[in-house]
Amino acid sequence: MTTSAGSTSPDLAYAKGLARAFAGAIIFGLPLLMTMEMWFLGIALHPGRLVAFLLVNFVILVGLSRFGGFERTDSLFEDVMDAFAACGVGILGAAAVLALFAIIGPAMPADEIAGKIAIQSVPMSFGAMIARKQLSGGGAEPQDEKEAVREASYGGQLFLMAAGALFLAFNVAPTEEMQLIAYLMSTWHLLVLVVVSLLLLHLFVYRVGFAGQKERAEGHGAVRTFLAYTIPGYGIALAVGLFVLWTFGRVDGTAYDQVAATMAVIAFPGALGAAIARLVV
Amino acid sequence: MAKAKTKPPVLEWIASAIGLLLTLGVVAVIARDAFNGSAGMAPDIEVVVREQQQVGSRWLVRFEAHNRSPVTAAQVTIEGALPGGETSTATIDYIPGRSTRGGGLVFSTEPRGVRLRPLGFQDP
Repeated sequence: MTTSAGSTSPDLAYAKGLARAFAGAIIFGLPLLMTMEMWFLGIALHPGRLVAFLLVNFVILVGLSRFGGFERTDSLFEDVMDAFAACGVGILGAAAVLALFAIIGPAMPADEIAGKIAIQSVPMSFGAMIARKQLSGGGAEPQDEKEAVREASYGGQLFLMAAGALFLAFNVAPTEEMQLIAYLMSTWHLLVLVVVSLLLLHLFVYRVGFAGQKERAEGHGAVRTFLAYTIPGYGIALAVGLFVLWTFGRVDGTAYDQVAATMAVIAFPGALGAAIARLVV
Repeated sequence: MAKAKTKPPVLEWIASAIGLLLTLGVVAVIARDAFNGSAGMAPDIEVVVREQQQVGSRWLVRFEAHNRSPVTAAQVTIEGALPGGETSTATIDYIPGRSTRGGGLVFSTEPRGVRLRPLGFQDP
């Protein structure tokens, strides 16, 4: 990992980065660490799906290191190293906080402890990566040539949207409320929700524009922007929603229309996550 | 985008097409129910035995509860009754419309001739 400017020793800078990573992990992970459903998911999740989820998370972390953030990395190898470090911070942080809350303890079987830590390490590793990339303050100037090239990559933009969608969707998906909301809503509510999600996604990213955010791509009309960013962004939010639902076993034995309804509910925070991805990561 | 006002790159076409397909697909599946008037319908739950097995000194009956109506039922209580009079109940949090959820009932004797039925439910 590249060290931030102004430090005398690279090791000291790395240690500071790690401390920041732990802080970010706890800030980002705390809502889910204190969510009851997450503790049960650690026990009840299908092991294969948990592994798939962790693998996807790892790929997202590598991508975040590559495309996101204000700190330049020199090689893919460095990104993989960063991702491993974030995973490590996530696992250690999750273990520490869960132990502190007495959610895990020495009397529990090892697979229960491992499951609970593994699922919680996902949001925490995400927070660790963001914190190291984002909170590092006076790092290298982002406007060098390489960063600019990366900034412009369309695939990179889609990837960041997926990361943002996954993070926000995952923050709400484990709760029972997700299903309950889908069951309470009528078909018309759901259709309006889809339209509102698309509208907000479109407005947030390419009309309102946050400080420091990518302006609406120059030379692109509203229609092209909608087709190139909003529609793929919502598709990503839906796909991420389905993946999260599948991971949590909410798709099994469930009719298509019920799955679609829950997807639409999860895609709402997902779409917002995709919209603000450039702001957060 | 460095190349503004040019033809969209292939990746943009692909991403747009996949996004459009997913969005329209989800909308279509959701909208299918908008016109067949499920508003007045009630949950319709059918319970079947999936398997029976002895667990220690007790007997376990695994069941599947299928909701045939499009309307979701919450807090569904399933009762199993043996001819000898022994009963056992289990509660399932949600059975979404046209979906299946499983559970188990425990008996102290061999559950020969067990009869399963839903006792009641709550609207979500």
